[in-house]
Amino acid sequence: MADPRLTDRMFHRIMRTLVETGRAPHYAELARVLGLTVDEARRQLLDVMEAYPIGWLHPETHYIASFPPLNSLPTQYRISVRGEQKWFAQCGFEATSATWLFPGRTVRIEAPCLDCGDTMLVEMRDGRLLTVNPRTVVGHLNYGFGASRGKPPYL
Amino acid sequence: MNLFRSEEHVRRWSLFNPASEEGFISLPELVEFFGTETRRHMLDADYLSAWYPRRGAERLAVLERIGKTSPFWLGTPAPA
Repeated sequence: MADPRLTDRMFHRIMRTLVETGRAPHYAELARVLGLTVDEARRQLLDVMEAYPIGWLHPETHYIASFPPLNSLPTQYRISVRGEQKWFAQCGFEATSATWLFPGRTVRIEAPCLDCGDTMLVEMRDGRLLTVNPRTVVGHLNYGFGASRGKPPYL
Repeated sequence: MNLFRSEEHVRRWSLFNPASEEGFISLPELVEFFGTETRRHMLDADYLSAWYPRRGAERLAVLERIGKTSPFWLGTPAPA
């Protein structure tokens, strides 16, 4: 049975590493930090992902692909903080939540429109919209939350 | 779950699902939807056990407040 304190600790370490480096750690890296054997860390990672099902491992691997609001696997939603672009958001919706990972900082979201390829820009700080360009930027859910099961998650 | 330059661009998108006409959400609504109290604690040491479980109720409250109460937004059951 999963130890909730250990699950919390691993979750926290993954999220912190993503914020600090822009990529998710491998379970073998988490093992040393958390005082686990490598295989204990691998199994613990599965517990974390079960408890946080809005993220996912790359299929048939133990690589963390998505850990929202950020993504270790690059997406079109590029996140920059203090002029440094090293993060990606899981999707356009989660991109608006990345602001909460960088308190007191301006978070810049840049992405190409999937229709025309032209860039959109949204800047936020502490949950407030600072810049929206063009002003007509809109969110869209293509399949509905329930019906999106089994559909590519980025749709 | 994407951002587009405008609704017109969504409808022109090659992968646009015609059944998703109710899938639009304004940016301010999206910021509210993804800016609930639990989101502000994602860096807390106990986020997963203490905050994440509250997320579903928060999301439901926001969706109700902004009038998105159809199964499309609230979640339709998985096919049998």
